[in-house]
Amino acid sequence: MMSANERSALQAIEDQSLFTFAEYDEQAAERTGYSNYSYWGSTVRVFLKNKVAVALLLVMMSLLIFTIVQPLLPGQKSPTKIHNDPQTGIQIRNHKPGGEFWFGTNSIGQDLWARIWSGTRTSLLIALLVGIWEVLFGIVFGALWGYVRQLDALITEVYNVVSNVPNTILMMLLAYIMRPSFQTMVIAMCATGWLGMARFVRNQIIIIRDREYNLASRCLGTPTSRIITKNLLPYLVSVIVMRIALSIPGTIGWEVFLTYIGLGLPIHIPSLGNLVNEGRAAMMSPSLRYQLIFPAVVLSIITISFYIMGNAFADASDPRNHF
Amino acid sequence: MVKYALRRLWQSLVTVLIVLTLVFLLMRLLPIEGYFADNYDKMTPEQREAVLDSMGLLDPWYVQLQRFYGDLLRGDLGTSVVYRPNVAISEIIAIKIPYSVRFGLAAIVISLVSGLAMGVRQARDKGRLWDKTWTGYIVFINAVPPAVYLLFIQLYVTQITRLPILYRRDNPVSWILPAISMSLGGIAGYAMWMRRYMVDELNKDYIRLAKAKGMSNKAIMVKHVMRNAFVPMAQYLPTSVLLTISGSIYIESLYSIPGMGGLLVDAIQRQDNPLVQALVLIFSTLGIFGLFLGDVLMAVFDPRIKLEKQGGSR
Amino acid sequence: MKKVLPVLLLCALFLAGCAAPQATQTAATARPSADFKTVYAGELTTLNYLVTGTTVEQEVAANGIDGLIEYDNLGILKSSLASSWEVSKDGLTWIFRLRKGVKWITWEGKEYAEVVAQDWVDALKYSFNPKNASKTANIAYEALKNGAKYYKGEITDFGQVGVKTSDKYTLQYTLEKPIPYFLTMLSYVSFLPVNGKFLNEVGAKFGTDNKNILYNGAYIMSVFEPQNMRVLVKNEKYWDAGNVHIKKLEYKYNKEASTLAPVLFLRGDISGTGIPTASLDEWMKDPAKKAMVHPATTSFYSYFYAFNFDPKFDAQYEPDNWKIVVNNANFRKSIFYALDRKAAMITAEPYAPERRLSNTITPKTFVTNAGKDYTEMGPLAAIVARDSFNKTQALAFKDKALAELKGKAKFPVKMPMPYRSDLSDWSNRAQVVEQQLEGLLGKDFIDIIPVGYPATNFLGVTRRSGVYAIQECNWGPDYADPETYTDPFFPGGTYNWPEKATGYIEANGKGKYENMVTAAKAEVVDMTKRSNLFAEAEAFLINEAFLIPYAVGGGGYVATKLEPFTYPYAPFGMSELKFKGQIVMDKPMDSAAYDVAYKKWQQDRVAALQKAATSTK
Repeated sequence: MMSANERSALQAIEDQSLFTFAEYDEQAAERTGYSNYSYWGSTVRVFLKNKVAVALLLVMMSLLIFTIVQPLLPGQKSPTKIHNDPQTGIQIRNHKPGGEFWFGTNSIGQDLWARIWSGTRTSLLIALLVGIWEVLFGIVFGALWGYVRQLDALITEVYNVVSNVPNTILMMLLAYIMRPSFQTMVIAMCATGWLGMARFVRNQIIIIRDREYNLASRCLGTPTSRIITKNLLPYLVSVIVMRIALSIPGTIGWEVFLTYIGLGLPIHIPSLGNLVNEGRAAMMSPSLRYQLIFPAVVLSIITISFYIMGNAFADASDPRNHF
Repeated sequence: MVKYALRRLWQSLVTVLIVLTLVFLLMRLLPIEGYFADNYDKMTPEQREAVLDSMGLLDPWYVQLQRFYGDLLRGDLGTSVVYRPNVAISEIIAIKIPYSVRFGLAAIVISLVSGLAMGVRQARDKGRLWDKTWTGYIVFINAVPPAVYLLFIQLYVTQITRLPILYRRDNPVSWILPAISMSLGGIAGYAMWMRRYMVDELNKDYIRLAKAKGMSNKAIMVKHVMRNAFVPMAQYLPTSVLLTISGSIYIESLYSIPGMGGLLVDAIQRQDNPLVQALVLIFSTLGIFGLFLGDVLMAVFDPRIKLEKQGGSR
Repeated sequence: MKKVLPVLLLCALFLAGCAAPQATQTAATARPSADFKTVYAGELTTLNYLVTGTTVEQEVAANGIDGLIEYDNLGILKSSLASSWEVSKDGLTWIFRLRKGVKWITWEGKEYAEVVAQDWVDALKYSFNPKNASKTANIAYEALKNGAKYYKGEITDFGQVGVKTSDKYTLQYTLEKPIPYFLTMLSYVSFLPVNGKFLNEVGAKFGTDNKNILYNGAYIMSVFEPQNMRVLVKNEKYWDAGNVHIKKLEYKYNKEASTLAPVLFLRGDISGTGIPTASLDEWMKDPAKKAMVHPATTSFYSYFYAFNFDPKFDAQYEPDNWKIVVNNANFRKSIFYALDRKAAMITAEPYAPERRLSNTITPKTFVTNAGKDYTEMGPLAAIVARDSFNKTQALAFKDKALAELKGKAKFPVKMPMPYRSDLSDWSNRAQVVEQQLEGLLGKDFIDIIPVGYPATNFLGVTRRSGVYAIQECNWGPDYADPETYTDPFFPGGTYNWPEKATGYIEANGKGKYENMVTAAKAEVVDMTKRSNLFAEAEAFLINEAFLIPYAVGGGGYVATKLEPFTYPYAPFGMSELKFKGQIVMDKPMDSAAYDVAYKKWQQDRVAALQKAATSTK
């Protein structure tokens, strides 16, 4: 005997109006699975959800724009002009912040406000140039190194030789031959800066190069360049971004070290490295500490921003965080 | 594996030779006047020649190179000519290495233990208070140049705690502050990268499966995540340990520790060629060896990594 | 500055033919003093005093080894290991009789041997051997007969060199030509003794550490750990132990010594510190700190801005144009009077910058004859009395120069000015000088271009190679005679080649300055006349604006417990490095007390010099 459910089901089947013929629709047959998922689009969207990172991004952008715009504002002083007291003709030394000098003056009467912005501009430019070089050359080099086995021996050789010749010798020779200047600094840092990125990328690639999906690609005959750009690098985006984000403050920190051992930019070109070292000498006197605090604060803002942005972007670029 | 090791060893030897010769030639590009400190004006040409001769610099470069390698094969690292004239380099270095190694190892142990623990905790509590505060520390250490915060610590911590400012061998209390200061950067570094790698791991599918399986969070962390996250960092570990002998230039300058830090920079700036060559020999050997060990360590931790060509794989 | 009378040249004057003062040493008793502690950043590379030219290393010799003569705290030359001496009438032979019973001591304080005249011969035999690469041997071998020939290998028998012993305790020097200031040279490392037997025993290891050297001076180095510390203790067997008051000198190495020293001093860990320029304001504003600070003495290093007469710099800076203008005296004088030296000095000495400014190349109180300081002689007196900075004169000379050079030279004149970019003081000063001179004379007249160089071979690349138009240079004295400050400008020097200046060549084909100096050098009998001739030559250089005298070294402020004016005072050499006679007080002295002490010291010195001068008559 049929149950009530079965009876109503049978009735439904017999009811013609509930059913229509499934026609063959050529158009519909051609349509494949579509999703409007875009990797970078989702990355950016997830990134923007992180309020802190976005705020810092805005801070960095305004900092950058301000350093470019600052000299054009009215009433700005030259970063290298020495200001003398009109009555005595003596330099206005170590003047506290306030009044005419918003950030005060340094020990020979130069305006610290102008120097900080000029210095930030110089240091960021160096960091940017070195960073771009590191990314382009370092990643390409590291990827080839890690993936192409035949090149492993040769490139390990090159890496070992270049990294084991002490940086100091290279820096000293370059400074001696080309004399301390902006170009010398950029060239010197590029010459050795790419090593870290290359080794880092190479290690990451070694870890994943023999995973099954790569073996599969190789079986299918995918060319090396495509494997690297489509299989390997996207997997590494998050860690690579972290590294790039830190390379900018890292370069500035390295510049501080070079100035510490006497191989930095000449002092009449203000840079964050110079300013921090000058301020460090003044650290012992409380009334002069502002000479250290201002450049250190700017440096910290840059570092913090890049770090947090880098972290946030790295988190956002992991596809598992996209939804 | 053995064949791979031997091949790497041979390669390393070649590398060291190339590095040494390159450094040798580069040092001789530096100006002659640099060998005379500031006395150049006050010496007669004969005297200058005598000084250069005593340093063996008047011979043609291939003769000098030959002499260097000859001595090396006999196990003689050479004698310093500027840094401490007529003193055997092995003697100079032998006194300094123990200081740097002791402090360096202490710093590594502190940074590894604290840094990794912090990184793990941060990944576990991602987004919460602990993560945020510790991120603040990491950012601070990376943002403020070491030259500044190390000096700051030395002056103000000693003022508050009455620890001694300078290191003295007979006073164990004076060892604490330098060791801790040295480890600060390492802690930040290890914590930051551990957190990053662990967060990446935690997102992976197999973790989801493990959770679905009913594994406890703790078990997941310990058995799966940590081990996998640690692999990329294992690469750098042997190099860090081996290169503790190069010392920390900042810490040793500030605390009067007679270690190796700054020795290389000093030797180069004073153009003491034998000392520079001996140091480069030591550091490059250790560096290359460390790179090799790091690769091996990585392969040990992660069996999926194959360092050498297996039959069948491309 | 007060006029003072060093006996240096007076002694030489009166010694021609007479015996030197007898060594009357009153048995002094040591005064109580605390130990001396300090930190230092420049480490010693060697203790071998026969080889090194670095001041830091000579400090060990200054305290551990005694020579023939020494200076007391008033600057009077006294006998040390030589109890008496005399010189022949022709000024070529000097005979020294040694004090008996002085011993060589090992680092553990044990006696090794007696100090004898042969020790001085052995020392020269060692340093005259080119294989030992002595950096200071030239001071001795150029003075002694056949010294240079032996060093160059033209003579191989050391016995022909002008040093020998007549008996166990008598030493004889024979000179190439008469040197009136020879006695003053004996305080330098080149003329210190060494024990020959010990030297042979240790061979190449001599001076590599404190155990491989013998001591006969006031202190023995008991501990030497490079890059860590060193300790010197009083030599209890010292012949003049009564005048050595500090019993222990402790040095701790720290690369950051200049930054940390003030803090360490305030915490009582060290006995004294220099005050860095940056912190000076801080210390002077705090009354407690101000009470511990007093000025430090200036040194005899002379700084000046030189004009290059043989420019070899890059074409982009137009060296030919520079060569034309630098030969025009009015052009040089316009810059000479335009330089505001006080403003430049403030970058290094913000308080009392005038203290270090110098109007002459030779510093004041370097040399005195017959009661007159050298810088007051002849035309120098007028130069000393005025400050070279004078706006109206500068602009007047500028107009004259423009008129004379119209059409011949291009304006603004490019003037590359090198400086060391790793030295913040100098970098700052370069900027100040550039903006000040251009501001006063106008950017249409001169264009000063500061060029930064690294420390590596700075002088070789800039000054010695002639790659500059104007540069801040310095020179330190090698002996106590005005001749030493002519060496940089005499042909053969590597400073600014004044002999290449056009318009000063005289009948014999040589430059006027060269002729004046040659005449002065030839005068070896009448010291006053000699000094006068040198003074005229120097005044000529300055008045024709071949260079701009700027400053002397030293200066600054210190906070220290060392009692001032107790150290052996001398215008050159290592005497100032000696700790013999010094005392560490309980508290540091303040500026007011220092001024009082300074005045008293000056009076004592004048009296002592007069006494020394009259006692030899």
